[in-house]
Amino acid sequence: MIRLECSTFAYDGGPVVLSGVDLAVEPGGLVHVVGPSGSGKTTLARLLAGQTGAGSGAQFRGALTLGGDRLGFTGGPADPRIDPAAWSSTVAYAAQRTEGQLSMMSATVAEEIAFGPANRGMPTGELRAAVQATAARLGLTDVLNRDPRRLSGGQLRRTIIAAAVVGNPRVLILDEPFQGLDAGSRAEVARTLEVLRAAGTALVICAPMLPGSVAPHSRVLALAGGRPVFDGTFAQARTAGLERYAIGTEGSAPDLRRAPAAPAVPPRRQVQAGTPLAELSGVSFSYRGENSRRQEKVLRGVDLRVDPGDIVGLTGVNGSGKSTLLQHLNGLLRASSGTVTVAGQPLGRRTAVGRLAGAVGYLFQDTDQQLFERTVLREVAYGPAAAGAGRETAQERARTALAAVGLGHTAGEHPYELGFVERRLVAFASLIASGPAVWVLDEPTAGLDQRGRNRVGDLLLDHAAAGGAVVLATHDGAFADALCTRILELKDGRIFSGGARRGAGGA
Amino acid sequence: MPRRRVFNPLTELLAAALLVVLVLVVNTWQFSLAVLVVAVLPGVLLSGKPRQITLAIAVTAGPLLISSFFLHGLFFPEGTTVLAEWGPARVTAEGLQFAALTGLRLAVFTGVLLTAALTVSIPELVSTLTHRRWNRRLVFVLGSAVGLLPHVAERARQITRAQQARGLVVGGSISARVRGLLMVSVPLVTGLLIDAAERTQLLEARGFSSPGPRTNYLPDTDTAGQRTARWLMAAGVLAFGCAWYAVGAGR
Repeated sequence: MIRLECSTFAYDGGPVVLSGVDLAVEPGGLVHVVGPSGSGKTTLARLLAGQTGAGSGAQFRGALTLGGDRLGFTGGPADPRIDPAAWSSTVAYAAQRTEGQLSMMSATVAEEIAFGPANRGMPTGELRAAVQATAARLGLTDVLNRDPRRLSGGQLRRTIIAAAVVGNPRVLILDEPFQGLDAGSRAEVARTLEVLRAAGTALVICAPMLPGSVAPHSRVLALAGGRPVFDGTFAQARTAGLERYAIGTEGSAPDLRRAPAAPAVPPRRQVQAGTPLAELSGVSFSYRGENSRRQEKVLRGVDLRVDPGDIVGLTGVNGSGKSTLLQHLNGLLRASSGTVTVAGQPLGRRTAVGRLAGAVGYLFQDTDQQLFERTVLREVAYGPAAAGAGRETAQERARTALAAVGLGHTAGEHPYELGFVERRLVAFASLIASGPAVWVLDEPTAGLDQRGRNRVGDLLLDHAAAGGAVVLATHDGAFADALCTRILELKDGRIFSGGARRGAGGA
Repeated sequence: MPRRRVFNPLTELLAAALLVVLVLVVNTWQFSLAVLVVAVLPGVLLSGKPRQITLAIAVTAGPLLISSFFLHGLFFPEGTTVLAEWGPARVTAEGLQFAALTGLRLAVFTGVLLTAALTVSIPELVSTLTHRRWNRRLVFVLGSAVGLLPHVAERARQITRAQQARGLVVGGSISARVRGLLMVSVPLVTGLLIDAAERTQLLEARGFSSPGPRTNYLPDTDTAGQRTARWLMAAGVLAFGCAWYAVGAGR
């Protein structure tokens, strides 16, 4: 059906990033391509999607076979050019970032799904039937009239898959389709993919870790440093010792350098001397929407006390209000009622968010929305410089923070030139550099490979041991179980299960 | 609540443009005022978003109106009826009349065009243009307004929030605000360019450059009656304009 033979591939003038790959997928077949950050997964996915980079100076030596047609590439100017529109009608591709995947020309999910076939001139009647059939197959019928930019993570991911498969392609390539999704949304997307596979679509799924469970006949191709290090069945992969290539298994506990401190003894309503680092008391909140009469409360009377040494995990489905709660801690959102206290000072309506940056550091869920400087060093030095530290001091603190996340060597690079995991760690370093006592982290491990996840785990434990505190929202249950001193579940704007602690769920 | 649509967006936009042409041709304050009261005011009130449109009109036309009143009211060389005088500045009745005429005309222009632009259904317009086989690049520019403008605004807001979370204090002096604006614009433009590069590949893969006619998911809401009406309206305004100038030249 589709086969990629890649002798070597290099981006414009750069080093070889992928070599020695021979991957073939049959109809109804499923291949998981796994590997740590920088292992060449995305390059492989793009090559399968026909993006050989011929026009942008990339050098691809190898061949792509689709159906019975084999296209040979020698890395020279005479190489064949692939027509993206023609290729994508057989081989659909859903890239890692959802944001760049929307056409931005559609006001509804239905129009977004219809965009491709409409461009190819499918008559309106047929088009509507095709969109409705695809939506029914992928469980999107209820959201067809919704704005695609206002969907939950799982719905958006499925919309993008629907837009890719509406023309019935025979191959579907997905780059990290589960990133940032809660268990329910993951299951939705997984079901969708199984429906497609059962109907004969060949699937290639790229991810940083081995999946926790898979369909019986699936295969695993593991990459490290741009080369294949394993090719076999899923059962073989689990015992092949892929950990030595920093390829972990989803749902496994992080491998930590420091042993987690013993959880605080009285689990609930602990009475402690001293001031908490941050405290929410009876906090309720609703977003002021376009229709102000129909305001729904996102938070309802939330109490949360964060003391030195705490690592508080917040869990809950997508849209349960975790990010909303976190943003109250650094003043990005202000409570409709109730009080928020940071470092002993109650937050007033007029307290500038910028003034809290020294006390509370915030890691956003979307990495790219928080990187805005020209070099990694300037990026990380921004916080200390904004707080009034001199240029030298700010850069010194930035270098220390970069070294802490293991990115000391990237100081001179542009943040956008780094891979996803490095960008995530740069964002983390910029938080650390400001030296806040409270770290507020929104999905800190989403999309990280095993090495990055372990490093983040170690940093959190070090910070808590040094008297700081962490509040994190996460879908990574194993990570929360291994690190958190308390795990709270947010449901319908209220905090449930206030007593669960580290070890309680995982042991 | 958005207003209920009666006509195809193309008909609405053409009607607005022709109204502006009529105001230019007739060029009397009485007619401009009549259009303002009879067409623009009800249009804004029934638009479903009167506050937003009024604000847009005020921001666009306000500074022009004020400067026009100062310029023509105080310095109108042809003015003879002097009402007040301060050195070189003379307030003349003719100057004020001229300022009122141009101001009224400006108010009608912005009122008509902004009301039409802010209430038109862009998806329906794009669908109509596609069904009418208009140039696809032009349709794309219009269609991008659906998603790209709100997307840019949202992204700028997110960047500001990220910078605030890292210690940027918004507000204060004008220079601090200008600096804040610059801080947002650099990453905003970089991010949009990167997005655009990704989106170009996506658009190509989804057949945006495919040759041949395209279709649209939304059905064609344009009717033969409205198409005829558009031609008749345009012809009517053209004929009226010619007649108006002919009669004016003969006087």
